[in-house]
Amino acid sequence: MESDYDTQDASDTESMEDDFYSEETVVRDGEDEGEDEGKYGFSDNESDDSDVIVSERLQQNYTVLDETDIRQRQEDDIRSLSMVLSTSRVHACLLLRHFNWSVSKVHEEWFADEESVRRAVGLLGKQVEMPNVAELLCGICFEVHPRTAMSSAACGHPFCDSCWRGYIGTAVTNGPGCLMLRCPDPSCSAAIGQDMIDMLAIDEDKQKYSHYLLRSFIENNRKTKWCPAPGCEFAIDFVMGSGSYDVSCNCSHSFCWNCTEEAHRPVECSTVAKWILKNSAESENMNWILANSKPCPKCKRPIEKNQGCMHITCTPPCKHEFCWLCLGSWIEHGERTGGFYACNRYEAAKEEGVYDESERRREMAKNSLERYTHYYERWATNQRSRQKALAQLHNIQTEKLEKLSKIQCQPESQLKFIIEAMLQVVECRRVLKWTYAYGYYLPEHEHAKRQFFEYLQGEAEAGLERLHQCAEKELRVYLEAEVPMKEFADFRVKLAGLTSVTRNYFQNLVQALESGLEDVGPNRQTNSSKSSSSKNISSKNSPGNSPKSSTTTNNFDNYWYCERCTFANPSSNQACEMCEHRRH
Amino acid sequence: MQASRARLFKEYKEVQREKSVDPDIQLVCDDSNIFKWTALIKGPSETPYEGGVFQLAFAIPEQYPLLPPQVRFLTKIFHPNVHFKTGEICLDILKNAWSPAWTLQSVCRAIIALMAHPEPDSPLNCDSGNLLRSGDIRGYQSMARMYTRLAAMPKKG
Ligand SMILES: [Zn+2]
Ligand SMILES: [Zn+2]
Ligand SMILES: [Zn+2]
Ligand SMILES: [Zn+2]
Ligand SMILES: [Zn+2]
Ligand SMILES: [Zn+2]
Ligand SMILES: [Zn+2]
Repeated sequence: MESDYDTQDASDTESMEDDFYSEETVVRDGEDEGEDEGKYGFSDNESDDSDVIVSERLQQNYTVLDETDIRQRQEDDIRSLSMVLSTSRVHACLLLRHFNWSVSKVHEEWFADEESVRRAVGLLGKQVEMPNVAELLCGICFEVHPRTAMSSAACGHPFCDSCWRGYIGTAVTNGPGCLMLRCPDPSCSAAIGQDMIDMLAIDEDKQKYSHYLLRSFIENNRKTKWCPAPGCEFAIDFVMGSGSYDVSCNCSHSFCWNCTEEAHRPVECSTVAKWILKNSAESENMNWILANSKPCPKCKRPIEKNQGCMHITCTPPCKHEFCWLCLGSWIEHGERTGGFYACNRYEAAKEEGVYDESERRREMAKNSLERYTHYYERWATNQRSRQKALAQLHNIQTEKLEKLSKIQCQPESQLKFIIEAMLQVVECRRVLKWTYAYGYYLPEHEHAKRQFFEYLQGEAEAGLERLHQCAEKELRVYLEAEVPMKEFADFRVKLAGLTSVTRNYFQNLVQALESGLEDVGPNRQTNSSKSSSSKNISSKNSPGNSPKSSTTTNNFDNYWYCERCTFANPSSNQACEMCEHRRH
Repeated sequence: MQASRARLFKEYKEVQREKSVDPDIQLVCDDSNIFKWTALIKGPSETPYEGGVFQLAFAIPEQYPLLPPQVRFLTKIFHPNVHFKTGEICLDILKNAWSPAWTLQSVCRAIIALMAHPEPDSPLNCDSGNLLRSGDIRGYQSMARMYTRLAAMPKKG
């Protein structure tokens, strides 16, 4: 079993990393072990750990399918259905397509009411032959053709082969709807199956049809999805209701089966969606607000200017009339100040440098932006670290391990603790990254939860930094020159220990986030107070102040963040100053 | 192109032959372009369109009859499924339910049927659709009749 590692490639290890936190692997070792760094008593457990990992892989809750697998499964379903219903292969295929490839659904409906299923799908009981005369009129081109140059579906409506070719070609060009094609006669609903396509269409259309059929088997099936990686042609068959949505494709892309974004456990799909949208919209959004709206000088609601005129009338009930440029009352404006499209009061003030462009508003926007930037930078840093660690892992697997094995005279199978350490780093970087998206959306006023979260995140991050450091820097020494056996053994114990400790920290973090930080009890609070988490944003933004003093005006606790535009509003506001979105 | 031309020519001959058969529809092919047709249809009886004569314009694609013709009202009409300004028609057989076995003649018949049985749930004319959906049949009928009188009937005097 141990020698398996030698032949393992990067894509295999990718699929392992995402299984680390499945319910079965969670070993409650007790948190105390993590606190005590001198106690690295894990070397004996190594083989057990890898057994867990390997058995985990065998019972993973999804299967990666390539095109051959997909065709095989589709063919098996079609063949077995046609046997059960004693119907043709073509009919079985049409039935399965109609019921989104759910074999059980076809059975259920068919045996409940065969007649209505036949009607809905367009399957006629028995073949009606075309009228038995030498020549027939085609219902599309209205020409008379010899009977031998015409074809019909099971309904017997005759069309010439050239019109069929055009009819099928038009349908195939229109997209996957061609899989539900019916007889061209408007009064007839006879289904056109693949046998007709193969008999009448040009080769290109036959191929397109067959391609749509294959795609439909994945896309119309509730249990399967294509891997979203660009150019990847694998599909994932997922066991519904089986826990974690994280899956790993054979192309090495890990993603969430539910939302098809990259794997993001323990953060929820909705948080990820919001975060990704925010990352794409943030800069534009902020700039837009700064550039296009100003608060009404009287009622402070944001006013958008969308016409050239500088004469602004605030929306009812305020109706205050003011100048867009200097924000002065319009009563003082008019011909004297330069008319409707300029303001010489503003120009003069600007020249003198007296006029300070809506200082407060900028300040507020800056706070929001700073808060977002804080989380974004950490999210992005972990993302980069993960990419680097992945590359490094690959490098270790493909060359370094062999080198190390030679220099230190150790069989490669004895060096897998290094691979495990790197796998742990890669996985933890992913989790840590997403906890920053989580933290951004964790409401400011939930103090206990925030403290607990920041404590867990801080511990986990500190553990990960130690592990990453050890796996990256200290390893280098042993790649350079042979060291005494004892020293290398110490390195092994240390790295394996750090791996295990970090795994525990992250298990705690993942569990806590997945349970919505529910178990914030009095004990936890004591815990968190003794930690000096570096990620407390209030301490970062008000240096010199105690992080917990919520009375200072600088503290973020005095603001709430608009859900829509993220503007930091004073707690006295009930609606957002920027976009008027109501506070929740 | 050749196939569509041949097919349209068949329809043309059929129209000539059938001229007296369907008194409600008069299809006319453009003198110089067989892909441009117009039609005069009679408003169906017992509807607010009764007594009116409505002109339709057909633009026929080269892939006809595999693809449907584009049809619109040239005569102003107040109907939930006809755009009041452009005369565009919302009718399933002119879109996804098209069959190449339909003809220009059968399209006209389908439009006459649509005039008699509006579908207020897919409105192109919201005012008209809203009247019908809110159950104000009289309001809808009087508007429709007014426009029929204004636009679709020969002026007196
Ligand atoms: Zn034909
Ligand atoms: Zn038929
Ligand atoms: Zn893939
Ligand atoms: Zn997701
Ligand atoms: Zn105002
Ligand atoms: Zn001014
Ligand atoms: Zn807002």
